Amino acid sequence: MSTRGESTRELRSALSELRLVVRQVGYEQLSFWLNPVGAIFTVGFSLLFLVMLGASAGSSRISYMHNIRLVQYYVPGFIAYGVMSASFNNLAISLVIRRETGLLKRLRLSPLPTWTLLTSILLSTLLIAFAQVVLMLAVGRWAFGVQLPSGASDIVALVVVLALGGLSFAALGSAMSTLIPNQQAAGPLTSTVFFVLLFLSGLWFPLKSGSTLAKISTFFPIRHFITAVLTAFEHPGDSAWAGHDLLIVVIWGAVGAAIALRRFQWAPQHT
Amino acid sequence: MPAVIVRGLVKSYGPLRAVDRVSFEVDAGEVFALLGPNGAGKTTTIEILEGFRNRDAGEVRVLGIDPGDRGSGRRLRSQLGVVLQELAVEPFLSVRQVLERNAGYYPAPRRVGEVIELIGLAEKADAKVKTLSGGQQRRLDVGLGIVGNPALLFLDEPTTGLDPAGRRTSWELVRRLAGEGTTVILTTHYMEEAEALADQVAIIASGKIVAHGPPASLGGRDRGAATIRFQLPDDVTPADLPLAVDGDGRSVELRTDRELEALYELTKWALEHEVRVTGLTVSRYTLEDVYLQLTGADADRFQSDPALKAPIRG
Repeated sequence: MSTRGESTRELRSALSELRLVVRQVGYEQLSFWLNPVGAIFTVGFSLLFLVMLGASAGSSRISYMHNIRLVQYYVPGFIAYGVMSASFNNLAISLVIRRETGLLKRLRLSPLPTWTLLTSILLSTLLIAFAQVVLMLAVGRWAFGVQLPSGASDIVALVVVLALGGLSFAALGSAMSTLIPNQQAAGPLTSTVFFVLLFLSGLWFPLKSGSTLAKISTFFPIRHFITAVLTAFEHPGDSAWAGHDLLIVVIWGAVGAAIALRRFQWAPQHT
Repeated sequence: MPAVIVRGLVKSYGPLRAVDRVSFEVDAGEVFALLGPNGAGKTTTIEILEGFRNRDAGEVRVLGIDPGDRGSGRRLRSQLGVVLQELAVEPFLSVRQVLERNAGYYPAPRRVGEVIELIGLAEKADAKVKTLSGGQQRRLDVGLGIVGNPALLFLDEPTTGLDPAGRRTSWELVRRLAGEGTTVILTTHYMEEAEALADQVAIIASGKIVAHGPPASLGGRDRGAATIRFQLPDDVTPADLPLAVDGDGRSVELRTDRELEALYELTKWALEHEVRVTGLTVSRYTLEDVYLQLTGADADRFQSDPALKAPIRG
């Protein structure tokens, strides 16, 4: 009897903590969307990129990539970019701002359980990434006539790749935030790292395999993530899974998580 | 039972002993002020009480709970209110939204409408936080500290940056909370704030408590030497006086343990010689004098004044 009472109690407290997560995600989203300028630019930046590059690509094809249309590369590429910018760039900057303004410390000192808070921030970040993915899928389909993943297995592959990528880059974003000393440095530092790596990874100009840039970019997770998303869209072979690329992304994510957990600070560091 | 018990608390950062065998108690319903220069160990001490930082040694009980015990952390935090030095509020939420969100973290919160009244932001309840003035944001910060209906409230320099009127309003709020039985621990740089609010004051310097007691008698300032100041007319010099005094020209002062006798001699002499002594004042050390002497900013004067040194309690 007593074990049963205990497990009921545990279940009830787990449910109440889950409710706290849902509530906290709601406030995170409210806080994000109540700043319309910030929200529109965060969500719309990737879309703007896609529309500009997609339009200028016209009907060009990539001879060294199974002769697919360039825009057929850009749609998955910028979907990957949207996920990365939300979970790496924006998360890193927002964590630094929250830490340095004392928001993290205040929440840490409230009875809100720590895992609830961190899960809410993560979920909210992924929701914002999700909004961008949906927008770009729609624009890719209706404006550029790009074939979207349609078979069940392709769709599952896309969802899993985006989810794992989102989590991995969120872990890297959290790790990045621990390396940034103050609020003023957050934007410039994170964006510099992000855009240099994006350039090296051939987001704008698809890399020819075997080129020097391609060799450099195999070390970093961004090109592998783009490839994994692209494979869910375009796979001349049977498999929609780029298992090797996904694995490298997840390994980077695990390293990021380890650094973040080791170095995470709740209190402002500028003093 | 005391709300807070601290015995032999020690915390080091590398070779630096930030908190060095600090002991004090705070009774339930009391306002306790921790004074000290920057880097003296105030914030570290408070962060250990809040469970935010681990201690190296010593015994700590906050509302009967060991804040170092992670298992009871949430139970402790649901009874604590914290107001930090940073203005830590989401800029795009409204005053009401922020308070409602935080109220939801606590088992038995205050009504949000009541908190908004208490902090005097009724007219700004639906305004975004970023549109508030600095003083209003500070008050919202205090509101976030009390929305959980805490048994113990930590205020880290609650009135820094407030204008005099804002400061008075905050003082009224602290008095009201204390009157309702909330225990308050505050840090401050303003002596008049400690004097106006605190039942007990502890001065901390280089990690050690150097004085502890009610503000009126801290450092023995209700006893010990007094300073008598006055001005002489143009045709009288200090040399004409029956007592040895400091100062040249018209404004003079003298320090004495026996101010009654000194005043008697002075006034008797002045009346007999028909000298018009003006601006006569008798004063003791202010809390600020005591503070400056104990925290080392004015240590020489302190060393040379045994009357002040003797009555300090640990």
